[in-house]
Amino acid sequence: MDKRGYLAIGFLIILFTAGSGCISDEHTVVKVVPAGSLLLPLAEIEQEYEAIHPDIDIQIEGHGSIQAIRQVTDLHRPIDLIVVADESLIPDMMYREGPNGVNYTDWYTPFARNEMVLAFTNASAYADEITTKNWYSILSRDDVKVGFSNPTLDAAGYRALLVMMLAEEQLDVPGLFGSVIGESFNPDLIINKTDGDMTLELPVLLRPEGGSKVLIRDASMFLMSLLESGGIDYAFDYKSVAIGQGLRYVELQPEVNLGDEAYASVYDDAVVYLGFQRFATIGNKRTGLPVVYAATIPYDAPEREEAEKFLTFMLDAFAEGGTGYPAPL
Amino acid sequence: MRNLLLILVIFACICAAGCISDPYAEIDWPLTLVGADGNEKVMTVSEIASLPSVNGNGYAVSTVGIKYGPYNITGVPLIELLNQVGGVHEGQTVHVSAADGYLWVFSYEQLLGEDLLCLDANLKEMKNPATMTPILMYAADGAPYPYDDGGPLRVATMTAEPDVITEGSLWVKWVDRIEIHG
Repeated sequence: MDKRGYLAIGFLIILFTAGSGCISDEHTVVKVVPAGSLLLPLAEIEQEYEAIHPDIDIQIEGHGSIQAIRQVTDLHRPIDLIVVADESLIPDMMYREGPNGVNYTDWYTPFARNEMVLAFTNASAYADEITTKNWYSILSRDDVKVGFSNPTLDAAGYRALLVMMLAEEQLDVPGLFGSVIGESFNPDLIINKTDGDMTLELPVLLRPEGGSKVLIRDASMFLMSLLESGGIDYAFDYKSVAIGQGLRYVELQPEVNLGDEAYASVYDDAVVYLGFQRFATIGNKRTGLPVVYAATIPYDAPEREEAEKFLTFMLDAFAEGGTGYPAPL
Repeated sequence: MRNLLLILVIFACICAAGCISDPYAEIDWPLTLVGADGNEKVMTVSEIASLPSVNGNGYAVSTVGIKYGPYNITGVPLIELLNQVGGVHEGQTVHVSAADGYLWVFSYEQLLGEDLLCLDANLKEMKNPATMTPILMYAADGAPYPYDDGGPLRVATMTAEPDVITEGSLWVKWVDRIEIHG
């Protein structure tokens, strides 16, 4: 057989081998479950990582932070990396024994912080008037509609309530919480104040009265949609989300925005009790804390080594920052 | 006459052999219903599937924008199901809990299809909301609802119109207990 004959046979062998699936194009899948407010930056980071590591498939599945952790602790799904918008949730929910007698995890890495802002559009009432100094008086006006996400479903929702509780106290505006939020419910939502501590107990069904100035939606994405369509004038959300959505926003004072570690002892004066315990594994008490993002790898992550590599890459990306990224620590 | 008898015998043999069977009979998933007076009733999936059912469109979106569906879903309206334990009335709440430790609370109005949000295919709120019926779903696309998707019993919001997307937070998976409070 001549050289061309051997080449032809070689070509045919390669063709049949590839066709029968012996030469595989399968990727190693790394399953990442992040908080919803990280989806935008993580989509970018995933794309960059996969371009450098074509054999790796980073699969991202967003949830609320508590639901993200529950994928491991309650649903026992094989997850490689958990990334949440509240660092306290990892020790609270994962520093305990799983079915194999080993803790779900024993560590976490805090890597970014966020703060609550008021997002708005050019069409929002008083859009050209609102500033950090007067935001609370603008929100108090009868013709201004305010939105926040459902506190039972979304951390940004109970954080909106904590912001308004802190604002009444720290900015010394008696009755502020009632005029912006509390009086839109029947009965009114009322802050209980004792010795500098403030607690707010939500009813089982948190439904603003029809025609009131408050609207609640399940999560940030629905709230942002409502804001853009003019259904509300202002929405409480994270600063990175407002920037990521290209919305205008007004920053709030550091003593109320849950974004400054120096005010941690002020923030924890405010506590919200949700109307019912949505999850058997975590109670319904939510205390004011600085918004700090954190990541961990569950003890039984199927692709631990690859998850560690991606985590390192992700931490570098967040340290560098970008549009719609929470600020690095 | 002899032919008719023969047909009946063959039919009886087929039934005895399990060729015509209840697809829900083998599902071991007791559902506990608790009335406002505290009385309990435990039902099997098969018993639930034998109640008068409704069928329509089911399409949900999670809080981070992941769409589930569209499905053709079958189940019993929650408000009808609760008649098994005395019914639910205005001012009462319905606590739906699941085997994974999850709990969600519905108002009476929501069981009537009110106070529910519906979205179009672009996830924008619909100005003229569709008619919605919260159901306890036991089948999707003609088959028993699978465990991996939250079955065999899952709350779903059914619509008569297609392509109406509803709030996924209400679609409680693995439902094993429903209580009337108040």
